[in-house]
Amino acid sequence: MIDSILLVDDESLFHLVFEDACSLLDISLSLESLDSSDEAAKMFEGWQNDNSGRPECVFVDLNIIGSSYDGIELIRKVNNEYGNGVVIGIISSSNEPEEQAKAKAAGAQFWIIKSDDIEPRLEDFKKDFQGYKNKTLPFKVYK
Amino acid sequence: MKVDKSTRDLLLEIQKSKRVLLEGNVLKLLEADPADTEFAKYLTDASEKDKEIRRKRLEVTKQVQEQNRSLLASQGENQKLLVDLKEALDSAECAKTEAEKAKDLALNDLDVLQKKSQTELISTIVKVALLVILSVGVVTTIMYIISMFTGKDTQIIGSTWSNMFGILLTNAFSIVGTIMGVKYASENKDK
Repeated sequence: MIDSILLVDDESLFHLVFEDACSLLDISLSLESLDSSDEAAKMFEGWQNDNSGRPECVFVDLNIIGSSYDGIELIRKVNNEYGNGVVIGIISSSNEPEEQAKAKAAGAQFWIIKSDDIEPRLEDFKKDFQGYKNKTLPFKVYK
Repeated sequence: MKVDKSTRDLLLEIQKSKRVLLEGNVLKLLEADPADTEFAKYLTDASEKDKEIRRKRLEVTKQVQEQNRSLLASQGENQKLLVDLKEALDSAECAKTEAEKAKDLALNDLDVLQKKSQTELISTIVKVALLVILSVGVVTTIMYIISMFTGKDTQIIGSTWSNMFGILLTNAFSIVGTIMGVKYASENKDK
């Protein structure tokens, strides 16, 4: 089970869906949801000095309305500026190969397609998580 | 993670008296003593209840999410329709202006045509009237000259000629006056 997850998504309703799905599938013990990439970046900046409370895994939406930068940019910042000690990837309804390539280049480890039936994808992700944590699994798209 | 006896008893007491169970992810951390079947059942019941609640909430949230998406889509469609409607309205307004311009132009052309026809008619009337006047004048004059040269009695033709000439002149002025009057009246009507 993943100790803690951070979800960055501007859709508040998806926070509830994700939280309940993770709880039902025993994916994580603790989950925090943010609706702004700026807020997430600030938190990561803080975790550079004090590691406590830092999530084990981060799910970022591709387009975060109302934020200064999108999911790919946040991943780039987390990986390049704040240290890449977390498993990080995109969770989005988009299935654009171009965007996926950009995310991969920015350091995303996975891409989960967001849809009504998200539970099977999260279950697959749960099985692969250790591989992402050990950095042994390549970038994967969960369709 | 195991809880001490007092906490275990308190939790079981709360379940019995208030029918309230622990909820949330904390249940995933707690475990009962292998010999303590009562507390193990408590944890199983609490966990199942929690999962049931989450399952229901997940279903409802998904429905709300779907409805929200549909509403957003309809809103988008409505806005598009509104834009289309506005464009159609603008086009109709443009077409109306063009039609009004064309109507004004056509009315103007018709007016010009009517005036032209009137002028042509007046011109024809004047020409015919002048021709009649001149013809009558010329015929009467010829008859009068012939009478004078052939030595015939000119008393009747003379008075007839002078009367005729007077009448013809009067009529000629009358025609010209009528034409000028009609022209003046139609000009005033236009204004």
